[in-house]
Amino acid sequence: MNCTSYSRSLLISLIFLGILFLTGCWSSNEIDKLSVYVGVALDTGKVTDIENKLEEQGGRYPKKDLMTSTIQILTPQAAGAANKGGQSKQKPYANISETGDSLFEMIREVSLRTDKPLIGHHLKVVVIGDDLARNNNIEHLLDFFFRDNDIRPSCLVFMSSGRAIETLKSKSPDDVPAFKIAGIADNQYRISKILPPMSLGKLKGEMQSGSSFLLQNVISANGEMKFAGAAVIQGKTKKLLGFLDEQQLNGVIWLTGKGKGGLVKSFDEMMGRLITYEIKSMKSTIHAYVDGNDISFRAVIKSEGRLIENWTAKGAPSKNKFLRRAEKAFEQEVEQMIDEVLKKTQKDMGVDVLGFGNRLRIEHPNTWEKVKRDWDKTFREATVKLEVKLSIEDYGAIIDSSIAAD
Amino acid sequence: MWKSIVAYIPDWKVFALSLIAAIIPYAIYKTFDWIRTADKMKSGESMDSNQTTQAQDPNEWFTGDFAKDLEAVRHEMARHSDVYFREFQIGGIGLKAAIVFVEGLSDKNLIDKHIMKSLMSDYEECPKDRHRTNGNLSKEYILNKVLSIRKVDEARRIKEMTPKVLTGSTALMIEGLQDIFLLETSNGKSRNIEEPISEGLIRGPRAGFNENLCDNTALLRRDGENPSLSLIKFQVGKREKRDLVIAYMEDIAETKLVEEVKRRIRKIDIDSVPESGYVEQFIEDNYLSLFPQVQNTERPDRVIGALMEGRVAILLDGTPFVLIVPVTFSMLLQTPEDYYERWIPGTLFRLLRYFAVFVSFLAPALYISFISFHPGLIPTKLAISIIGTRGIVPFPAIIEALILEISIEILREAGLRLPKPVGPAMGIVGGLIIGEAAVQAGIVSQILVIVIAVTAISSFSIPHYSLGLTFRILRFIGMFCAAVFGLYGVILFFLLLCSHLVKLKSFGLPYASPAVPYRLSDWKDFMIRMPLLMMKRRPKMMHTRNPIRKG
Amino acid sequence: MISTPKDRITTPQSAVILINYVLGTGILTLPRTAAQAVKTPDVWISVIIGGLLAMLAGIIMAKLSERYPEKTFYQYSRDIIGKWCGGFISLLIICYFFMASAFQVRSMTAVTDFFLLEGTPSSAIILCFMWVSLFVTVGGINPIARLFEIIFPITIIIFIVIASLSLRIFEVDHLRPVLGLGIMPVLKGVKATTLAFAGPEIMLLLLAFMKHPNKGVKVVVVGIGVTIVFYLVTIILVIGALSIEGVQAITWPTIDLMRSFEIEGLLFERFESLLLTIWIMQMFASYTITFYGAALGLAQLFNKNIHPFLYGLLPIIFIVSMIPKNVNDLFKFGDFIGNSAIYLFGGLPLLFLIISGLKERKA
Repeated sequence: MNCTSYSRSLLISLIFLGILFLTGCWSSNEIDKLSVYVGVALDTGKVTDIENKLEEQGGRYPKKDLMTSTIQILTPQAAGAANKGGQSKQKPYANISETGDSLFEMIREVSLRTDKPLIGHHLKVVVIGDDLARNNNIEHLLDFFFRDNDIRPSCLVFMSSGRAIETLKSKSPDDVPAFKIAGIADNQYRISKILPPMSLGKLKGEMQSGSSFLLQNVISANGEMKFAGAAVIQGKTKKLLGFLDEQQLNGVIWLTGKGKGGLVKSFDEMMGRLITYEIKSMKSTIHAYVDGNDISFRAVIKSEGRLIENWTAKGAPSKNKFLRRAEKAFEQEVEQMIDEVLKKTQKDMGVDVLGFGNRLRIEHPNTWEKVKRDWDKTFREATVKLEVKLSIEDYGAIIDSSIAAD
Repeated sequence: MWKSIVAYIPDWKVFALSLIAAIIPYAIYKTFDWIRTADKMKSGESMDSNQTTQAQDPNEWFTGDFAKDLEAVRHEMARHSDVYFREFQIGGIGLKAAIVFVEGLSDKNLIDKHIMKSLMSDYEECPKDRHRTNGNLSKEYILNKVLSIRKVDEARRIKEMTPKVLTGSTALMIEGLQDIFLLETSNGKSRNIEEPISEGLIRGPRAGFNENLCDNTALLRRDGENPSLSLIKFQVGKREKRDLVIAYMEDIAETKLVEEVKRRIRKIDIDSVPESGYVEQFIEDNYLSLFPQVQNTERPDRVIGALMEGRVAILLDGTPFVLIVPVTFSMLLQTPEDYYERWIPGTLFRLLRYFAVFVSFLAPALYISFISFHPGLIPTKLAISIIGTRGIVPFPAIIEALILEISIEILREAGLRLPKPVGPAMGIVGGLIIGEAAVQAGIVSQILVIVIAVTAISSFSIPHYSLGLTFRILRFIGMFCAAVFGLYGVILFFLLLCSHLVKLKSFGLPYASPAVPYRLSDWKDFMIRMPLLMMKRRPKMMHTRNPIRKG
Repeated sequence: MISTPKDRITTPQSAVILINYVLGTGILTLPRTAAQAVKTPDVWISVIIGGLLAMLAGIIMAKLSERYPEKTFYQYSRDIIGKWCGGFISLLIICYFFMASAFQVRSMTAVTDFFLLEGTPSSAIILCFMWVSLFVTVGGINPIARLFEIIFPITIIIFIVIASLSLRIFEVDHLRPVLGLGIMPVLKGVKATTLAFAGPEIMLLLLAFMKHPNKGVKVVVVGIGVTIVFYLVTIILVIGALSIEGVQAITWPTIDLMRSFEIEGLLFERFESLLLTIWIMQMFASYTITFYGAALGLAQLFNKNIHPFLYGLLPIIFIVSMIPKNVNDLFKFGDFIGNSAIYLFGGLPLLFLIISGLKERKA
């Protein structure tokens, strides 16, 4: 009897478990039955050849050809084969383009074209083409990315001054362009021409606060990409206003003090020979001053670094004097860069992308409350004073007789 | 207003589900309740039947008539072919005598050289009148002058004699004496004291218990001069009686605990107790639990350590496995080496073991939940390689994992059964060839092979074999939970497990202590092992009578 | 060593129960609700003030319960204001408890459904959750307390890990200026933050189980103190990373904080799974204790065994939890519960304390 009671209870619980498992596994979806997309490029609508042909055959649905989104899907089977040593010429990724108006619809349309539905958990970069951004509100374009539960706010956003689709192509068969873009963004410690990466999460804050901001610009030519300057987005319209070139972006980095490394190139004023400064640290403090209706700023930029290239080595007259002179040259160079970017953004474009508004908000919150509604306009009138102090701490592994001792 | 309220009333499905919400747990509760009560009724019945059998015992007294008695004994022993009779005459006086013994159980030397010799050739005729009554030898004379045997009993009934003879004593019958002597000559073969197989240590005593209770208690005694070590003897088994000894430190162990152990052991009601595992299952608190609530060990040093903490050991004749109660989860993850080695490695190994436990029962579940439910929670690069390796596997992760897990379990089981020389070969065939081939054939993915291998290795690092079994079972439950609810299922599984652990008690001691309730003073010897200098007190949770160890 | 006839919990256990009860939905939503109310980066000051207010309410409740040792509120409320009034108030509190538990289980489901188990019916998620909780509640207050003691250190360790990891996207500028627009915005946020600290009401029941009921005030101070630290760290990290404007627009800001960074090479790379793990555990704790509170109330009100009430409450909680139709309803439901907590536990215990004091003086 004991035995039967055990087996009966076991049976009952087994049936119960069975029911649970049969009805269960609702949301189970094996990872290999899904496609991971890692990059999205948004451009103005331009129907691709394949799409044209598909539409001719009847593959169409009601839509406006507002934009073309290019989705970069990983094809890990190829990647896996390559790992095993098999020489596969297949690229580790595939780009699928869809033209339409709703981003979500376009991504779901892809499910009609591939057996593995897309999942967005691993989306790393979104690149927006300049045509699209100039005429459309970026907040609307990106709304789906903000809202979706798959896509993480850690995904990075870039602009491209060409067509964004080009940045997702690469010549070499080993690279995944989306990873490459995300990887280059980490190189801030090598060069001061890269903006701190703008993630969707951060972008959301910028959108909400209504201030103007910068996005890193990525360009591409013949399947080779490069980070080249930055795009200026106006806070009010959330549209693209223009681009800053590399040098100007360098100025932005210096002014905001967000750089982690990089260089300053200059020429010795006496000899006209090349000298280069390697940035070890960079710090910028901006103070805001309010005097009645006048708002002014004073930026103090300090940097420590190393003399890394010096073509003047022989015959430099006096040692410490030379270092002073070199520092001076570098300081001038930096000041010039900052002036240029200030002129371009403050005067020409009339936007504040350099964080002056933020300083005002912190230091004079009451004034900020008054001016924040129309800050870009107010900023146009503000004066900015600069103070740049660079100091060369060492000169590398070579001791030039000219600068070694005093 | 009314409309909006109506709109909020859920539809009938919700009401139906709400009934399920109450009915299913209630049904489960009822089922378990029923199992418990059914068991109790059962044990009640068996008590009654036992009493009736005892009443049937006949009493057969020895008559004192040598020939008749001998015949009766012969008749009684007719069923035992290994019982030998040897009749002879005592010394010169010509009294008839006989010895009855079991070949192989009794000490041949002792019988030949001491009993027979002293009775037959060395027997000296004593002053006649003083020691003879009615022409017979007196009992006292034989006992005091003739037999040079250290332990002699007397028996008046055949029923008293038979069990003794059958366990190795020698019965001596002498003409004219109504009682017969039972001479302690048992000399069962026992194993030498060897290193315990199931609990090997690098550093520490090499001694392990063997199957002989006397040897085992002697091992405990020999451990050191300690008069407070109490050994209390019980007999268990209704039909085949075995000795069982409870060992504890008189002035350390809590009296209530000792009484509770005694009470539970007295309640054991079964015809025979072949191994201490039987005892364990009769005295444990909750037999529906997966967790072992009694510790078993082959190591005397471990037993002594436990006794010093105020715990109670139960030794059973015929098995090297000694039970220790009460036990907590953390104790099952400790080894004596934690204390023999210095405290830093001891601590690190202990932490490693906790981590291994975690891996051994959750790793496959986490694998399934990540692969099947949360592709977004794995690092991108790992996700890519998983997709790459899993590409040709046609099964969902749960089936894939089950295939490999069950193969491993079969391998383990097979490895136990195999003769020793074949074992390693089997491991190679099973582990390497099947694993590699399964990956090649696309039945399982490489990542899973790694996960399962790590899991298996981790489960070997659990020092207590029974606890390892627990986690092997739990692993499968965890996998099913993960297959239904992903990470959420794993979390619920963990919570369920913890709920069970905190409810479980071993002889009144909460199984999850000293983790909970918080007893900071006991944490010195929990996940970390503090230097011995700092462990001045016995574990507080044991409520010992003498809490101070040193200083 | 053999179990004591009546369940008793230690002082640390009570504190842990209190902490686990308070920490719940708040971890995920407090940054948003507070930021929406305050609108300046001074949210963290509101959190401190709100916490202190809750602590005050908790101390009053502990003081009240201290006067009636070994009795829960359900039992002694009759002594204070008579059988019928006391019974009515008890009934209200029971309602509060099971509404709160329904809210907790539902918001847990909302998050789980959104981030972990898209497509699984919420009824399945809720049912399993309730059953596991039932399993521990039938054991009484002692297993509950011990289970919470397991959950608590796990929460702390994981929280510290993920909090320190999220420091990498922390920008102190987002938290400045301090009190830039004066104290007014801070005060506006106090109500929202106080609601997040709903939980000291458990002291009305807990004190009856404590080994040392005179340490009730200490439990409240320690318990609420720890939760203040938790919430403070959370809110500072979330606002520091996502900025005060960004936080206001995010439904579950703390999860978004965890999703806003990836650390390559650190085994997991993504850490929201850890946050969700501890959060589900915390929700489990909150749900369990409110569920137990409601069932205990019914049992003591009708002077019966607690078990039938535990089983009987399950369908009711399930139905109530299914009533909100969308996220907005859910948040409204939460606000309703918060408001009723303020009415029930903000003023009432003080009134009771005064009445019982007067009665004592008369006697």
